[in-house]
Amino acid sequence: MSVIVAENLSKRYGRRMGIEELDLSVPEGTLFGFLGPNGSGKTTTIRILLGFLRAGGGSARILGRDCWRDSHRIKRDVGYLPGDLRLYSWMNGHGALRIFGGVRGLDLAAAGRELAERFGLDLTVRARSMSRGMRQKLGLILALVHEPKLLILDEPTSSLDPLMQELLNEHLRSLARRGHTVFFSSHTLSEVEHLCDRVAILREGRLVADESLEVLRRRAGREVIIRWKAEPATPPPSPPPFLRVRQQQDRQWRCALAGPIAELLAWLAPLPVDDVVIGRPDLESLFRSYYSRQAGAGA
Amino acid sequence: MNRGLLLKSVREVWPATLLFGLALLAVEGLLNYVFPTFYDDFFEPALRMQFIQNLARGLLGTEALREIGPKTLSSVAWVHPLVLAIVWAHEITLCTRLPAGEVDRGTIDLLLGLPVSRWQLYLCESSVWLATGLVLTAAGVAGSLIGGLAIRPELRHEPGRLLVVILNFYCLYLAVGGLSWLVSAASDRRGRAVGVVFAVLLGSFLLNVLDQFWRPARAVSFLSVLHYYQPMAVLRDAAWPARDMLVLLSAGLLLWLAGGLLFSRRNICTV
Repeated sequence: MSVIVAENLSKRYGRRMGIEELDLSVPEGTLFGFLGPNGSGKTTTIRILLGFLRAGGGSARILGRDCWRDSHRIKRDVGYLPGDLRLYSWMNGHGALRIFGGVRGLDLAAAGRELAERFGLDLTVRARSMSRGMRQKLGLILALVHEPKLLILDEPTSSLDPLMQELLNEHLRSLARRGHTVFFSSHTLSEVEHLCDRVAILREGRLVADESLEVLRRRAGREVIIRWKAEPATPPPSPPPFLRVRQQQDRQWRCALAGPIAELLAWLAPLPVDDVVIGRPDLESLFRSYYSRQAGAGA
Repeated sequence: MNRGLLLKSVREVWPATLLFGLALLAVEGLLNYVFPTFYDDFFEPALRMQFIQNLARGLLGTEALREIGPKTLSSVAWVHPLVLAIVWAHEITLCTRLPAGEVDRGTIDLLLGLPVSRWQLYLCESSVWLATGLVLTAAGVAGSLIGGLAIRPELRHEPGRLLVVILNFYCLYLAVGGLSWLVSAASDRRGRAVGVVFAVLLGSFLLNVLDQFWRPARAVSFLSVLHYYQPMAVLRDAAWPARDMLVLLSAGLLLWLAGGLLFSRRNICTV
């Protein structure tokens, strides 16, 4: 079952395009990465999903309900962390949990304390005296505390230290294992790569990829370094089609592998190879190519 | 009514309400004491001056200044610019909190991320507005009664007439609030919303004053909100301004509804 379904979703801001004909489906229990450079339409999509903005065209549904008409009902099962989190300056953690609990009709005090302990946040400090990182932690606690079926996190790791990021990732993984869905928006590949099992990439308001990381990894090339033996002094062979030599220096090749490793090994087996280094899938280059391609050119 | 939202709103508005309430109590008390007490020595001679007469006519909305005595003059306490400034400043601040204020400070995302409809938010904030209106009115009445304790009993107003003035005053509060809600619903910047409402009210006040000595203003004076609020006529003649109150109530309700509709349908952007 898909928790989020968007079909032909479009939104314009006057002449400027927000998003255009976006199709998205987020299966239940997925850690879903939503990637794109600044201004690509990630936040617009999230704001439509949460009913802050009305879509100009198409439809968006969460848990089978319309995101505009049933927005408030949907949010019973949704936890949301805004990208630019602002808290009421007078509010401290305890007060926030009391108010949010009152709105949701739940007693969130105990669960909130537990999360605060885990994330290392003092709930007695007022927001006006908190650092950015502390405010982000409180925002995360408020998004997580009612154990929502769907978590929408808009660039949640900004201003979090690496230890806290890892702690958060662990928590999100454990939620996903229990069937919760995480919609994780970011413009940084590395954090999505370490956490998510599916990724959608947005560029200039259009979806350019929506695949599992497994598939993307397979598609991404690997860097390969081959050092040829000095003896016998024969010239290196010409490379096969799946291997593109980027740099040739003395008897060393720096190449991009576009095919399976097995093919490469089979090709190398009879050749006078001194050493081979096969790198991890180069997702960064793949993503950069998605980001920089001309509008309209699909993945 | 959502308990959590109410808790949040009350937490945010009670300090200002207390402060403005105390200020209103003090000002009302002082004016209710000063006008009747110093009528013979100061106000009666001053009212013979043309400029003061015009100003008093504008404030009180009546031509019949000769019939004013120490008792009726104290009705100025309910239309005095300082009193109106206190009540309206508090009201405009309160009514522009949602959505303009929340969008402006970026906290609207937090609010709209909760399982409450925009109408629920609007109703909750509006109920706090209505309640604080009662608190301010009560503070004004308390000030009026306290000030009255220090003057001769025959100069005090009859409770029945005072009650009608209070009702008219609250209707004025509703009309001004309705306008503030509508302007706030259409705005993303609180400062801008406050500025627009303030400008409209200032224009309304000036129109009401000009009405008394500038003929062209008379033709459009019905547009002024103060045209429908004339406590002197109530206190002096025991008039029952049902039509005025109905106009203020209808305007307030319509503007408030329009604000609610606009807020429930508009896009909310914080970036």
